[in-house]
Amino acid sequence: MNRNVETNGFDVSVLIPVSERPIDLETLYRETSQVLRETGYSCEFVFALEPWAESMSESLARYEEKGEPISLLRFEGGKGTTGLAKQALRHCEGRIVLVMPAYGRVKPSALPALIDAVTAGADLALARRWPRRDPRINRVQTRVLHALLARATSTRLHDVGSGVWAGRREVLEQVPLYGDFLRFLPVLAVHEGFRVEEVECPQHQSDLKARVYGPSVYLRRLLDLFALVFLTRFTHKPLRFFGLVGSVSAIAGTLVLVVVAVQRLAGQPLANRPVLLLGVLLVTLGVQAVALGLIGEIIVHLHESTGRRYRLRSKGEARGPEDGAAGSN
Amino acid sequence: MSMESSLVSIVVPLFNEEANVRPLVSAVRFALEDRSWELLLIDDGSRDGTITAAEAEVVRDNRVRLLRLARNYGQTTAMQAGFDHAGGEVVVSMDGDLQNDPRDIPRLLEKLGEGYDLVAGYRMRRRDPLITRKVPSWIANRLIRLITGVAIRDNGCSLKAYRRELLQKVELYSDQHRFIPAVAVGVAGARIAEIPVHHHPRRAGASKYGLSRVFKVLADLVTITMIRWFRESPLRMFAIGAAASTLLGILAMAAAIVSLVAFSPAKADALVLPGAALLLFGLAIYLIMLGLIAEVAVNRYATPVKIGPSRGPAE
Repeated sequence: MNRNVETNGFDVSVLIPVSERPIDLETLYRETSQVLRETGYSCEFVFALEPWAESMSESLARYEEKGEPISLLRFEGGKGTTGLAKQALRHCEGRIVLVMPAYGRVKPSALPALIDAVTAGADLALARRWPRRDPRINRVQTRVLHALLARATSTRLHDVGSGVWAGRREVLEQVPLYGDFLRFLPVLAVHEGFRVEEVECPQHQSDLKARVYGPSVYLRRLLDLFALVFLTRFTHKPLRFFGLVGSVSAIAGTLVLVVVAVQRLAGQPLANRPVLLLGVLLVTLGVQAVALGLIGEIIVHLHESTGRRYRLRSKGEARGPEDGAAGSN
Repeated sequence: MSMESSLVSIVVPLFNEEANVRPLVSAVRFALEDRSWELLLIDDGSRDGTITAAEAEVVRDNRVRLLRLARNYGQTTAMQAGFDHAGGEVVVSMDGDLQNDPRDIPRLLEKLGEGYDLVAGYRMRRRDPLITRKVPSWIANRLIRLITGVAIRDNGCSLKAYRRELLQKVELYSDQHRFIPAVAVGVAGARIAEIPVHHHPRRAGASKYGLSRVFKVLADLVTITMIRWFRESPLRMFAIGAAASTLLGILAMAAAIVSLVAFSPAKADALVLPGAALLLFGLAIYLIMLGLIAEVAVNRYATPVKIGPSRGPAE
């Protein structure tokens, strides 16, 4: 696996997946690389490009030819930001990986603070756009999303949507990444027990426009959130979730059935009452939900006996450095 | 096997037990004076001074070890982490809140030495609130006994002693530390004994249990039982449900036909009863399909049997 490449002396890999509405990549590169170079960290830049973005990268190719530490990786399209990042991570050699979208979110001058935070001991430093200077509508969206997020996953992050964060390699190696979860990686990292810090960063000039998306975007976000809740809370105990849903439904159905049964005994006919259907339906749904939960438990049971269950921060012996994936066989 | 000489590992999960760490370690030291022991403190993501307190104990006594989990995983996982890292032939688990008394440990070990795989303590004269702790616990113990068929008086008592070989066969996850004896009997065919142990009221810190535990215990109970019975053939379990559902469906259908033939066909009977029957048939089909999925899952994870080396005919 390429992931295990010895770090080649780079302190930081800046990973920029280019899949949606990028700003001028050359400007982005020049601004960012200049700021980072001044800090004294040695940096490489990794651009992960969808096929259509290739033309945009032509100007960057010149820098590549000049021998600047910049790699332009072209991947097949349709995988989304997370897919691009996942493939490009194999080529990142830095001790710290700084991920940022191809459109400006925070001022480049704020980036060194993120790297400093990681160097100072955080496992992951997330940029929080603060103070916000964009229209109220954007801020309301951010606030609603994070209020839901906070309730659902009990993490206290304020701006996952900035999409700018720096993390130690280990974090990226240990937090499973798939689907569209690049954005929520800091949340998953908190869940895995990593130390995640927020760093306040001034907003980028190009981030000040009002943003309202189509309904499908919000729907997708909501589904992501739902998946996230399930992943962080019930992966190890699916029956807790399905069992609750199922027993509520089954109990409600049973109550209905008991009531009509009692009424039947009291002389009222049973077979012509649609409410009977409701009762049967509720019980049926309840049994289905519980059955699904049991399937989940079977899978978890089979998987847990081989998989990883907990992560240790320290192992209790003098020789023990940080322990990675733990678990007995 | 002599229980006297071998190393005893004591596993204690700690979650926000700052004030209890020091007295706990002293109590263990005092109780196990003349044995070789190690004490594994497992910090389960505490947010108070537990870690500092525990680290001080580690420095003071090299038989004390501190394992730090990366976040709060819950008591079961913390315990499992302790079991995974315990070095002794015998492992003792207990709570970090000093409600268990380390002075009971030698008696547990003695009993274990009589040839048992697991010795569980049961709390005599339990010193806990009645409604929130004792009543749910009583119900849970009854349920566990009824469903698993393993008669343990006090499943909620953490003070237990195990042989290491047993723990290697038992996998814990979710909140299943309560069911170690049941799992041990079911999976590993363990011999189990019980002895009475002391129980003290909580001296410092707050209890980490609430009433929501009852639902959790129930869900875990269903899981444990199901996995014990149907691990090898989940389709059978789902087939039982499907059969029951089909039977009810047939009954509803029969009632519908009877009422159609016997009475006037124009009434709503013609809709409701067949509808109910269809729902039940649908459920049966659904359950069978789920059972098949479960079979696939079991099959995917099953490892081929190791067969002995083949010995061809002698030449």
